[in-house]
Amino acid sequence: MTTGAWICLLSPLLGALLITLGGTRLSRRGAAYLSTASCFVAFAGALVSFAALLGKSGGDRHHVSTAWTWIQAGTYRSGFEVLVDPLSVMMMLIVSGVGALIVAYSIGYMDGDGEERRYFAYMSLFVFSMLLLVQGGNLILLLAGWGMVGLSSYLLIGFWHERPSAIAAAKKAFVMNAIGDAAMALALFLLIQKTGTLSFGALDAVHSSSVANLVALGLLGGAIAKSAQLPLHTWLPDAMEGPTPVSALIHAATMVTAGVYLIVRTHVIFEQAPKVQDLAAGLGAATLLLAGLIALVQVDIKRVIAYSTMSQIGYMFVGVGVGAYANGMFHLMTHAFFKALLFMAAGMVIHALAGEQDMRRMGGLRELMPRVRLAFLIGSLALVGIFPFAGFFSKDSILAAAMDRGAYGYILWVAGLAGTFLTGLYTFRMFYLVFGGERGAFVREHFHELGRGLVVVSMAVPVAVLTVLSVIGGWLQWAPFWHPVETWLQTVAEPLVSPTNWQEAVSSVVALALGLAGMGVAWMVYGARRWAVPSAPFWQRTLERKFYFDELYDTVFYRPAVWTAHALANWVERPLILGSGPEIGTETRDLGGLFARLQTGMIRTYALAIASSLAVLAIVFVAVK
Amino acid sequence: MLLASAGNVLVWAVWMGAAFACLGSGIAVVSFSNPFFSALALIGNLASLAVLYLLLSAEFVAAAQVLVYGGAVMVMFLFVIGYIGPRQDSPWAGGPSWQVVGAVLAAGALFVEIVVVVGLKASGSLAHQAKIDSSFGSPSQIGRLFLTDHLLAFEVTSIVLLVAAVGGVILGHHSRRESAAGARALGVRETRPGQ
Amino acid sequence: MLVRSVSERHAPANESWKPMLGPSVAWYLCVAAFLFATGALGVLLRRNPLIVLLSLEIMLNGGNLALIGYARHLGDGAGQIFAIAVMAIAASEVVVGLGLVVAMNRKHLTLDVDRLNTLRG
Repeated sequence: MTTGAWICLLSPLLGALLITLGGTRLSRRGAAYLSTASCFVAFAGALVSFAALLGKSGGDRHHVSTAWTWIQAGTYRSGFEVLVDPLSVMMMLIVSGVGALIVAYSIGYMDGDGEERRYFAYMSLFVFSMLLLVQGGNLILLLAGWGMVGLSSYLLIGFWHERPSAIAAAKKAFVMNAIGDAAMALALFLLIQKTGTLSFGALDAVHSSSVANLVALGLLGGAIAKSAQLPLHTWLPDAMEGPTPVSALIHAATMVTAGVYLIVRTHVIFEQAPKVQDLAAGLGAATLLLAGLIALVQVDIKRVIAYSTMSQIGYMFVGVGVGAYANGMFHLMTHAFFKALLFMAAGMVIHALAGEQDMRRMGGLRELMPRVRLAFLIGSLALVGIFPFAGFFSKDSILAAAMDRGAYGYILWVAGLAGTFLTGLYTFRMFYLVFGGERGAFVREHFHELGRGLVVVSMAVPVAVLTVLSVIGGWLQWAPFWHPVETWLQTVAEPLVSPTNWQEAVSSVVALALGLAGMGVAWMVYGARRWAVPSAPFWQRTLERKFYFDELYDTVFYRPAVWTAHALANWVERPLILGSGPEIGTETRDLGGLFARLQTGMIRTYALAIASSLAVLAIVFVAVK
Repeated sequence: MLLASAGNVLVWAVWMGAAFACLGSGIAVVSFSNPFFSALALIGNLASLAVLYLLLSAEFVAAAQVLVYGGAVMVMFLFVIGYIGPRQDSPWAGGPSWQVVGAVLAAGALFVEIVVVVGLKASGSLAHQAKIDSSFGSPSQIGRLFLTDHLLAFEVTSIVLLVAAVGGVILGHHSRRESAAGARALGVRETRPGQ
Repeated sequence: MLVRSVSERHAPANESWKPMLGPSVAWYLCVAAFLFATGALGVLLRRNPLIVLLSLEIMLNGGNLALIGYARHLGDGAGQIFAIAVMAIAASEVVVGLGLVVAMNRKHLTLDVDRLNTLRG
């Protein structure tokens, strides 16, 4: 079964390498097919591992396969190893499965771009990196995968590198991720110092509370940077500069969920540092409210979905923060389905309108793109959490778990419910703005059918598959009645809370009601146009400026750094270093000129020098003797 | 004993004469303005040195000195001086002002140093002379040494002589173009050997 | 030679060594030092290259004298061998030096070491 895991891991890498080495010998379409095939092969490998693991009994589900010893220094040893256990197999399936569908979608979406080979090489690289992250058998490999997904994200956000906004967004994403990476690295250093190893077993050791708090804090820092939670969240909306499939894969389904995976994987440490775990839950709750509010005023369709992602990951953080690991992972899975679906459907809309992303220019696409509208609708319903679509089962169980947590948990519960209302509101605001109403002038001028060729098929089939999954994906677990996901993950992460059936029922009913209420309000304002949009200019401004986080970071971090750089350039570099260069040159030249004067060319002078030195040396020899 | 001391006095007298001749001719070499006279003075220097070598039981070297130095090297010098033609320059003129002072100081310092050291050691290691037998300095001994203990020096010296001979030929080689140019400058037709 | 016959007449018959009559080695070394210094003065102060070469010969001869003196003092024939080698080297050097002077003359250069200074820095 570890063979399947190796195939899963290495197949996208092979794809990336072949595309890179093939260069222009490979046609653009060929590169696309190669990348897609490698992802499907990876999915097959993941299935093989899954099947093998199913065949084993519960306790026997932890297998490590080491390829070679990667680092060995003194007593510290790290191997290049993959870990096959229920958690990693679940992530492998999600990453490779959804990844394969999105890469297939890209064949049609990126058709005609001109730089498709680079794109597909980067996509394969990303899939490999993410698989390395989830399959890594020790923390060092996890960190390696962590860094590489950050790199792939940077490369893909800045894919259209002629746009300055894209480059700026890529830099922003990378820098913020680097802050998180630094925090994680510090945590790992501390672990090495205390335990001398970075295997997952190192986390099991009992640490003093201060050490556990520091390590957990560092890991949490990495998680919130990667998952775009408060306070390191500002990079995610800007990351929408990348192509839509990139947003779907990296910034919805897989990379941003790496933080959740990390917390589940290292939950032992978090349980030793309960304050930090509560902090994680609190940050998640704050993020979900903040993102939901900001999403209400966004006009770019992709940014609405991005803030929605931020908000849903906040839910996942709440889930793992209270100790409901399986619920968090289950929501991760369903979220991957419907969020990718929403992005891809939005991508089809954007393609049909010749690249336009501003929702104020859309509208009235109801008859023009009926099937896309259906997919979008199903995705939205799943997102809001309406029975029987996917989100209902996963999100509500998180809320119920929060109820079981105690007083703090109730605060999280209330926040989560408010978030549900907001989710309904902004999601259907987006839906009605895009598909409802009359056809505007822009739509009449620019809309064009997507046609029937391979391009459309490659886009339509993954959308269809994900639509089906968004409908039935949630039926995998309904907490009060059947919970295979929880059982599956029990050997890896024992949940800390177990909500009663009554709590589940209450949460589900209230959340459902609020979600429908949000939908209703959205319909009244944007759908039927019966109510006017309330005007509250202060709140409007604040939300549009995203609660001034960007300005805050600019003032606190960016400006001082720039000022320091300018000061150093003016006061240190220019006078001392740049000035001394020519000075050294002139000094040397003058010294050389001085020495050149010794070379008169007159033999007699040279002979005199020799005779004088001989006289001196004779004295020296005699004196020394 | 008297005859021994008489022999000693004779040796001293010969030594004094030869030494002063040596020193005087040395000063003469560097003082004359006409190089021809300088060369002649050098011949005198070489002869007096040969006498000194004889006093030091180096008969073969003395003979070689006269034959090689006096008979070959000085002859070559005189040839070249004759070829170059008359040339007289004031001996101590020209050059930077500190050259004269520096030269005198340096040479003087060297001389004084050596004399002082010799004087210091005169009663020590320079007092005991080795005992030598009658074949010391004879051609047979020199020949034996050259061909046994110092064979390498012998061979290398011969190679150096060969190189010098080749060098001399090359330096003296009269290229056709040069001679043609020279002849044209003088306005005569270039003559070739045999014409 | 006069010296040898005198010493042989008065030396014991069964001994075959020669004493050194006359000045000790120190005197010879002083003469050699004077020759060396004189030659150095000539090299440093004369401008005619021929005279410079002659002065070089004087220096070399001074060195030879010192060598021969030490050979007698230490009873080792190597000094004389060395002196003969020095003579050979001096001869070669004179060949090349004079060749250069002749070549300079042929190119109508001034025979003045102060003027021949194009190898300057």
